[in-house]
Amino acid sequence: MDNIENVELIVVGGGPAGLSAALAASDYGIKVVLAEEREFLGGQLIKQTHRFFGSEKEYAGTRGIDILKRLIEDVKNREDIKILASSRVLGIYEDNVVTILNNNKMKKYIPQAIILATGASEKFLAFENNDLPGVFGAGAVQTLMNVYGVLPAKKILMVGSGNIGLIVSYQLLQAGVSVAAVIEAAPKIGGYSVHASKLKRLGIPILTSHTIKKAVGNKKVEGAIICELDNNWQEIKDTEEFIECDAICLSVGLTPLIDLLKQRKVKTVYVSELGGYIPLRDENMETSIMNLFVAGDVSGIEEATAAMIEGQISGLTVAKRINKNQKEEIQRKIEEAKKELVLLRSGPVGEKIRKGLSKIGLNHGENYDESILKEEFDISYLMKTGVPSKENLESKFPKDKKIFDKGPIAISECFQKFPCDPCVKSCPFNAISENGNINNIPYVDFEKCTGCRICVSKCPGLAMFVVHKNYTETSSLITMPYEFLPRPKKGELVNVYDRDGKIICEGKVIKILDSSFQDKTAAVSVEVPKEHFLEARNFKVRYLKHE
Amino acid sequence: MSEEKIIICRCEDITLEEVREAIKNGFTTIEEIKRILRTGMGPCQGKSCGLLIAREISQITGTPIEEIELQNIRPPYGGILFKEILNNVGDKIEK
Repeated sequence: MDNIENVELIVVGGGPAGLSAALAASDYGIKVVLAEEREFLGGQLIKQTHRFFGSEKEYAGTRGIDILKRLIEDVKNREDIKILASSRVLGIYEDNVVTILNNNKMKKYIPQAIILATGASEKFLAFENNDLPGVFGAGAVQTLMNVYGVLPAKKILMVGSGNIGLIVSYQLLQAGVSVAAVIEAAPKIGGYSVHASKLKRLGIPILTSHTIKKAVGNKKVEGAIICELDNNWQEIKDTEEFIECDAICLSVGLTPLIDLLKQRKVKTVYVSELGGYIPLRDENMETSIMNLFVAGDVSGIEEATAAMIEGQISGLTVAKRINKNQKEEIQRKIEEAKKELVLLRSGPVGEKIRKGLSKIGLNHGENYDESILKEEFDISYLMKTGVPSKENLESKFPKDKKIFDKGPIAISECFQKFPCDPCVKSCPFNAISENGNINNIPYVDFEKCTGCRICVSKCPGLAMFVVHKNYTETSSLITMPYEFLPRPKKGELVNVYDRDGKIICEGKVIKILDSSFQDKTAAVSVEVPKEHFLEARNFKVRYLKHE
Repeated sequence: MSEEKIIICRCEDITLEEVREAIKNGFTTIEEIKRILRTGMGPCQGKSCGLLIAREISQITGTPIEEIELQNIRPPYGGILFKEILNNVGDKIEK
């Protein structure tokens, strides 16, 4: 038939994985058709206003929305990439025909290769009245708030403490919505400890071993009944509690969006560690159907950095197959990308991913460094409460307390091993180090540190502080990251809080660093009575209530 | 817990009670439950209910969840108008 177009590569999905795949393939002259069902590119990045973790090489420390801008600009400048926006891929047939609905027309293509980067959908939860208006998925809340600027509610109960639950709670607070609590059915917090600590410092309760039983309300959510769970995930009697709220936000995990893969009868398996039913695939991201690749969350739930690298691997693999030349160079790049992935997944937080991958026969275990697989400290208290233990803190403070007398020094309150390095890369004096592995915990060399405050704005986890103990005879100056509006003014009095979100004293704002260099994470220096220099870790502007 | 107030399939308004009843009546695959209850046949095509039903089947029948198959998915993915299919064929059919 003459109305079928032959193309080299179709990439389905314009999120971080799809964009990276298209770029990697077009680097080697492959002609790409990039189909995205929405009218804009970027996938989930469009609502990620927070800074990313990961390695600086893959944009860590940059906000998701800014990563997106760079990727899109790059894609738009490529002549080899044809972008089909508002174009839904409707079918992938056994004879390799792909149908795409574009501009009210069903177009047909025969590609030499397909990369599916369709992402994931949110999981739903079964509880009484779960169909009441006001029960949202976290993704919907984030879209309303960060994409369309619409407040979803006044007071929200967050269900689930994975990174999405924690990050969205924080963003709700930034938008002026109050968060009644974050509840988590597991006995420990699911996301990174730094995200939990950010919420704790703002006084948000994080209740582990708690679940939602019931949404309460007549025509819409007016509250929720939660209860406590025992070690066997069974409800403990008489622990029911009513929480007043006008919305319930579900953040209970993602599952790969494999519909198009099922159409093509790709082999799928259930792997709970990777979010549910996932396609079987090899380490070049190729599925059980030749020349059909996957990348990003559709291949198993991970995060955006891994998605971008997987996109590169699949794009490069397609390029290597179609491109006549440069095969060795492409192969070298593929190997580099794979190494990067292994590094990202090699710490303790990557354990789940590693376990899931080994279930589908992808065990890169031989490359993992045993010494970094274990947590350095006992962080069980931190992962239960969001507050670091005394021992945890002691280990990161200077051993010789006299060092506090030398002047301002940076204190890193990062206690969990996960792949992240912006603090290390930001320090102009090389005073912060992770000992050569991105998964290690960063330590400050207090001799080298000048207290310059650059790291305070650069840490994506808001876990860097600068403490000047002897600011005056009786007071200390604590520099803290601040991401709320309106900003405090110089000389203003603020309420100062500890790591648990409890108010401890009054403080005076001395200095605010808030230029484009800080990129919206201001470094605010607050003068506090000297006895609080080890406790003061947050403040609130008085006329603002974000409880 | 009142099972009749717990929605499993939001598109087709199917409750946990109905799903459990079906499983007890011997419909123990997602495909079978879809055919008698219409779960997964709405606009979301099983994205909300699929995993929840798989877990119910697993718990009631004792089958490990790894052995439970998802429903079949066929083209087209999402709704399409006849006009949109015909548009591509050319003017002669439109007239």
